[in-house]
Amino acid sequence: MTELQRDKTFEPSGVQGKLKIVLHDVSGTLIRALGTIERRGYDYRDVHCTQRVDGDFDLLVHIEDTGGPSNLDTLCKQLERLYNVVSAEKVGRRKHAEHA
Amino acid sequence: MTTAKQFEKQDTQVIADREPKSGAELLLESIAAQGVETIFGYPGGAIMPVYDVLPKYKELRHILCRHEQGCGMAAIGYARATGRTGTAFATSGPGATNLITAIADAYLDSVPVVFFTGQVPSNLMGTDAFQEVDIFGMTLPVVKHSYIVRDPADIPGMVAEAYFIAAEGRPGPVLIDLPKDVANAVTTERHKWRPYPKQKPEMGQSADIEAANELIRNAKKPLFYIGGGIAQGDGVKELRDLVERTGIPAVSTLKGLGSLPSDHPQYLGMLGMHGLKAANFAVQECDVLIVAGARFDDRATGKLDTFAPHAKVIHMDIDVAEIDKLRKVTVGLDGSVKKNLAALNPGKPDCQDWLDLCYGRREEFEWDYKGAQENAAPGVYAPKLLYDLSRKADDSAIFTCDVGQHQMWVAQHCYFDDPKDHITSGGLGTMGFGLPAGLGAQLGAPNRTVITVSGDGSIMMNIQELATLNRYGIPLKIVLLDNSVLGMVRQWQEVFFDKNYSEVNLDDNPDFALVAKAFQIDAFTVNTADEMEAGIDRLLKTDGPVLMHVKIDPNENVWPLVPPGRSNADMMER
Repeated sequence: MTELQRDKTFEPSGVQGKLKIVLHDVSGTLIRALGTIERRGYDYRDVHCTQRVDGDFDLLVHIEDTGGPSNLDTLCKQLERLYNVVSAEKVGRRKHAEHA
Repeated sequence: MTTAKQFEKQDTQVIADREPKSGAELLLESIAAQGVETIFGYPGGAIMPVYDVLPKYKELRHILCRHEQGCGMAAIGYARATGRTGTAFATSGPGATNLITAIADAYLDSVPVVFFTGQVPSNLMGTDAFQEVDIFGMTLPVVKHSYIVRDPADIPGMVAEAYFIAAEGRPGPVLIDLPKDVANAVTTERHKWRPYPKQKPEMGQSADIEAANELIRNAKKPLFYIGGGIAQGDGVKELRDLVERTGIPAVSTLKGLGSLPSDHPQYLGMLGMHGLKAANFAVQECDVLIVAGARFDDRATGKLDTFAPHAKVIHMDIDVAEIDKLRKVTVGLDGSVKKNLAALNPGKPDCQDWLDLCYGRREEFEWDYKGAQENAAPGVYAPKLLYDLSRKADDSAIFTCDVGQHQMWVAQHCYFDDPKDHITSGGLGTMGFGLPAGLGAQLGAPNRTVITVSGDGSIMMNIQELATLNRYGIPLKIVLLDNSVLGMVRQWQEVFFDKNYSEVNLDDNPDFALVAKAFQIDAFTVNTADEMEAGIDRLLKTDGPVLMHVKIDPNENVWPLVPPGRSNADMMER
């Protein structure tokens, strides 16, 4: 892969994590949430979405950073400020790719 | 059809047997119910049902701009000058895509604007119909929220929610896309929208105030770093009170200008890439940095890991997602900036040596306008012109500007004593912003002097709005600094690209005074420094719209300059 000239502050750190996001069933919410994750510097490794009995959706995403600030707590806050996202939280243990 | 599955899930109730109204009527009625007085718009096919009934709503003043981008930016200028939510209309397809830059601008500068777009009829959506684009999908990354209307009965609730969302918390743009068949459909039903389902925490005072007090109390080199969130959060009075109670000096971002008056004794100036030396040095040396309503933007911080390297950071922001985003903080104060500023009461830290250092530097690096003007003679030294203009103008004058060298000169040299006096495209950096934002600001603040400072590159991007000034007699005063070059790009090519001047020459510009006159706008040209004073007087005394075209030196640069990717301590000078 071609090496890019960029600020080393934001080199990919290999941070991986799994997020559980609860969404209201309102059009656009799923794509808004997935788009936010990608735009904030993460790649998907796995995505699962299931509907709950109350009609909301549980979205489970396994992600890896692509060179952003790599702060999953910040990402959760950014997801939670989206309308019709009920909650976003880290689940499981965060780990680095090299240790995975 | 008056039910939609997506709303049933949210406990939507149907209220039947109401007066039959079309979607277009419900839309305008609902907008008027929000207290909207002014709409900036441009009609077209898909939004024609709305324009068809618009004349019935006398309480809504529609301003016909000459380009949808102009509509959007005028709505932003209006919102920023008034503190109210702006409103803009466009049709589907190209009308909608022309709004996108304005939507992104509002998003990055946290400006409350509700954008309405016409859309092709519902049954044609997704068929690549004439003038169909998925504006909902295209704008997802740059809206605070957005909707497609599926049923006219949803419009009153949806519009009310849209205006609520645009203005609450950290403000931002909201988009409502209205298909033509929904605008035409007549309904006797109204969907009662849910109370907003997500319970937002009350924007109160943080629980960590005492920790912040303790940090400030023990600081030896404390400093305030203030941003646009002060004005957005209505915290100007509280900020000034706290700054004066603590005796701590302050620096400001581009968006924070005016939160403290430019001549406030504790104000050191703007920080960052084109910040003043006293401000940047203070940030680099402080030991406690009190960040209020700012977000560590890269233009302010320079290379992030060299920014304020010795400082413990207290960060106040209404948007909790900004805290710890780019800089780990020692104390984070979420919630209302206004309430947090009012609650902080650390007393006066013992830091006289620090104050002497900061204020001594401010004096040492004071701008030599007279000397610089003498060097530029007989030409006009733009910073001197802006300095003189802003001090001759009414104290309550609003400045809007475009993007480039003149934008930085406005920030560095104009006088501001209220953040609403300075309307600039800070986050997106949108050339073409100044003129439409100026006309919007002037319509929002008709009793104030509004001055747009633009460059010869920027003004050409929305010059058609001169026609809007003329149509409505909007008395905007335009100062056009013309160096016949894309000045900021030229400066970077000079400094960072070995003087390889590529595609920046604009020496075939039209005669801007003649162009303005063709739009029936009063205009004149200032060529030399000795014409400057008379030019400023004429500009300020003219009652209607006026353009002052000022020829300036193409080789003049903006100083200081922090090279990209470098520390703010590495300021380049002339």
